[in-house]
Amino acid sequence: MVAVLQKRTIRDFDWLIAVLAIAIVGFGAWQIHNAQPTETYWQKQLIGLGIAFVAMLGIAFTDYRRLVELAPFLYLFGLVLLVIVLIPHIGMKINGQRCWIKLPIAGQFQPSEFVKIPVVLMLARYFGKHRTGVLSWKELLIGGAILGLPMGLIMLEPDVGQAITYLPLLAIVLFLSSVRMWMVAAVLIACIAGAPLAYTVGVKTGLLHGYKLERINVILDPENADKRGFGYHTWQSMVTVGEGGLTGARGSEYSQSSLKFLPEPHTDFIFSVTAETTGFVGCLLLLASYGLLLTRLINDARRSRDRTGMLVIMAIVGGLVFQIFINVGMALGMLPVIGVPLPLMSAGLSSVLATFIAIGFAISVQLRRFVN
Amino acid sequence: MKFVDDSQNLRVRLRLIQAAVLLLLSVLGVRLYLLQIVNGAHYAEIAENQRIRLLPILAPRGVIMDRNGNVLVDSRPIYSVILSREVTKKIDYSLLKPFADGLQIDAEILKEHFDQAAASPAFESILIKEGVSQADISWVDAHQLEYPTLRIEQTPQRRYPENGLLCHVLGYVGEISPEQLQQPQYRDKGYKPGDVIGQDGVESVYDEYLRGRDGYRKVIVDSRGHIQSEVERVEPQSGQDIVITIDLDLQKAAEDQLRKSPQGRGVIISMDPNNGEILAMASAPTFDPNLFSQRITTKEGRAEYQKLLNDPDHPLLNRAIQGKYPPGSTWKPLMATAGLKQGAISIDNSNLVCAGGITIGNKFTRCMGGNHGSPNVHIAIEKSCDGYFYRLGLKMKLEGIQSMVDMFDLDKRTGIDLPHEVISTTPSRELKARLYPRDPDWKDIDTVYSSFGQGQDVLTPMALLRAHSAIGMKGRMFVPHLLKEVHPIGAVGYDAMKNAPIFVARPQHLFEHQAPKNLNLPTDQSDVVVQAMWSVVNEAGTATGIKLAGFDIAGKTGTAQVVSLGKEGSEHKDHSWFVSYAPAFKPEISVVALIENAGLGSRFGAPAVRAMYDVYYAKTRGTKETGNNIAMKIR
Repeated sequence: MVAVLQKRTIRDFDWLIAVLAIAIVGFGAWQIHNAQPTETYWQKQLIGLGIAFVAMLGIAFTDYRRLVELAPFLYLFGLVLLVIVLIPHIGMKINGQRCWIKLPIAGQFQPSEFVKIPVVLMLARYFGKHRTGVLSWKELLIGGAILGLPMGLIMLEPDVGQAITYLPLLAIVLFLSSVRMWMVAAVLIACIAGAPLAYTVGVKTGLLHGYKLERINVILDPENADKRGFGYHTWQSMVTVGEGGLTGARGSEYSQSSLKFLPEPHTDFIFSVTAETTGFVGCLLLLASYGLLLTRLINDARRSRDRTGMLVIMAIVGGLVFQIFINVGMALGMLPVIGVPLPLMSAGLSSVLATFIAIGFAISVQLRRFVN
Repeated sequence: MKFVDDSQNLRVRLRLIQAAVLLLLSVLGVRLYLLQIVNGAHYAEIAENQRIRLLPILAPRGVIMDRNGNVLVDSRPIYSVILSREVTKKIDYSLLKPFADGLQIDAEILKEHFDQAAASPAFESILIKEGVSQADISWVDAHQLEYPTLRIEQTPQRRYPENGLLCHVLGYVGEISPEQLQQPQYRDKGYKPGDVIGQDGVESVYDEYLRGRDGYRKVIVDSRGHIQSEVERVEPQSGQDIVITIDLDLQKAAEDQLRKSPQGRGVIISMDPNNGEILAMASAPTFDPNLFSQRITTKEGRAEYQKLLNDPDHPLLNRAIQGKYPPGSTWKPLMATAGLKQGAISIDNSNLVCAGGITIGNKFTRCMGGNHGSPNVHIAIEKSCDGYFYRLGLKMKLEGIQSMVDMFDLDKRTGIDLPHEVISTTPSRELKARLYPRDPDWKDIDTVYSSFGQGQDVLTPMALLRAHSAIGMKGRMFVPHLLKEVHPIGAVGYDAMKNAPIFVARPQHLFEHQAPKNLNLPTDQSDVVVQAMWSVVNEAGTATGIKLAGFDIAGKTGTAQVVSLGKEGSEHKDHSWFVSYAPAFKPEISVVALIENAGLGSRFGAPAVRAMYDVYYAKTRGTKETGNNIAMKIR
């Protein structure tokens, strides 16, 4: 029985997803090296990849249904971590944000990256029951509460960027839980029409001012914005990306990142480094890889044997695509600067590990599509 | 779909999500295309510009030497603390305090530097402190990690002689001012903020020769302005050395005499009447030009400058060309020369009544020297007879005096190669009407005053010396000048693209003399005046005390009444003049001295001039100075 299971397991294991994820992290490690050639971030990233791969296998070979059963405990544990990180002597403060916990051997880790997983499991558990009708207001409220608790705690750190990445988890789950289409359309229209309206009203009333206004202005009109002040990050990132051209900037041993014109090159702006060193070709390749990975995950979701599994995968897809779009959009000067890492690319053990665990869940769901 | 869920069109919703994912990724792809393919070159240029920087290597200015090759002014290398600007970011004013504390600089002055740099974004470096000490360099080294944009650079600093020697002639250098940058003569020559230029004196007039051509280093910098590597280096070309006509020995003697004068104020100028070369030009009191080149950026320096500006003795004023004094009796030889030329008197018949004075209307104006009877022109000059010249003036009339002024160019600048020369004041109806609106008409008494060097006769010492030198030169009048020669300098660097040096060689340049103005004096007429001036010193004149055996000095004393008459005290005494040339009948040198508020010309002006001739005699005749320090003895 065990042998049969293992044989099937190895055959059914979605190797493409795993290989794509590993390849992107490897590619990312190269870019981290380009960004900070004198530092050891890229080596740490590769070590992180090893750890993350083991964790992914562990999760993949565990039945996700058992973990979904445990979701309330995991969720509670996550909330405790988010409270602990707020305690001054335990949570480390970096750049005014208290979002790291220092561990004796493993170094520091960021609970807000990991808590996404219990939130996903919790949502999948609640919304995964067999549906008979449209989404009720009660369900909407409970879903909002599941998301709101950790988000609120993360806002207290305060890490607004990270908190925002929780939103698509609920949005996707609701979308796949018979939320009425007119509501979806209404929200979409409100967002598209509301942004310019909010900007105009904000400027007129003076509510939008100072660095917040500048960070938006640099997106609207980068050439005439305050490039030396609050528009600096966006402007330098655009210059770095543009400099890459078709196949990457060559002929200069001094890159934007090594001369430190580009801030945070190995984390938030790793995509800009990629654009500078590999050009349009490399960037498209990376975006295509993400596209392939996400499509594959959606396919796995479609074939999952129950709603719970499908929701787990799709919530993960929602989280990933949202982070990719926010991060790359920021690097390309389309969106304001928000500190969100690029999944699988940005340096940081927490982010890589959390993403691999999420992918592990997706594989676990996919592996058990025939099991009864 | 493995599970059945008929309450929703799940399949469609999943497809929608799939489509949304691909749409979002495509949006990013389009944006990438715009940035990298469409505008890639534009951003590449921006990136290049922000990492490449040109750091100037300041060229030292040329040396200034006297006619015998003595170095008067040079540039020595000093160390300065420079702050590289972070091109991509705003100027960080929070650095003010640590820099001011760490390097002991006045925060106010440092803030001015920051403000200036903030106003001109193209200006890459901010000067933090000049002429730093070893302690300052250590401080910068120790804080390299905190302030990577601070660097130590060698810069040339102008060094002037001590004790203000020759300060008014040399002038000084200083940073170009924002106002100057607006003026076409600077703007069109490519001066930029922070450039050090000649601001006065020879430094200013011959700035173009003295100024070097700055080199540069092309470097790659990081975003904090920290230099990563040097791509290219172009060495600077030093400025051209210049030789001026000053004779250091005569200059020192002149300044010495002024320092010892009663008020420590006055002028001595010496010139070669054969070509206009200025041998000495001293104005007292003096100032220290090093203030401007070395200390003006410090608080103490600013205070020192304020003190100079507020000093009632006006040390910054070059009295030789900016001071104006009534010529007193030194006016008389000029009158006599013109009187002969115009025919008011003749060589054979030059006698006029003195009568101890003259009565115009009901006012008697006396002759200061008593009653000289009816002297001829020789005796009138020798004895400085006022009465004679009252009547000569009345014969010549205002028009005759004005014609004399015109002949000697007294109503013009002498044209010396120094900035800010003022024009002497000379008599005219217009001036009278303007000065005395209640009594605007020109009267005989005005003519009388104008004929013996008072009233509206107010001359610069330079103009007076030039006129007298012309008499000694039998009517040939030169433009005084200080430049003798500009040394050549070789080409520097090589530009492979143009197949030419980066900085071309600059050739030697000799002062180009203008043809002297010919006053068309009949020689026999000028001889009469020269003879009389010779007698002033060598026979029975007013300055026989300075007679120098074997060296015929011709001269004229003068006592200029100070306007603020009626006030008692030595500071209101008359100015003491002596103007001269020698040897009388073949002049090699002319000297004028004006000692402010000292008293009679014969007592102070003449001995000071004699001291100059002593030095000259010793230099040219190879004899020991005779009558050493005669100025002291007479006093």
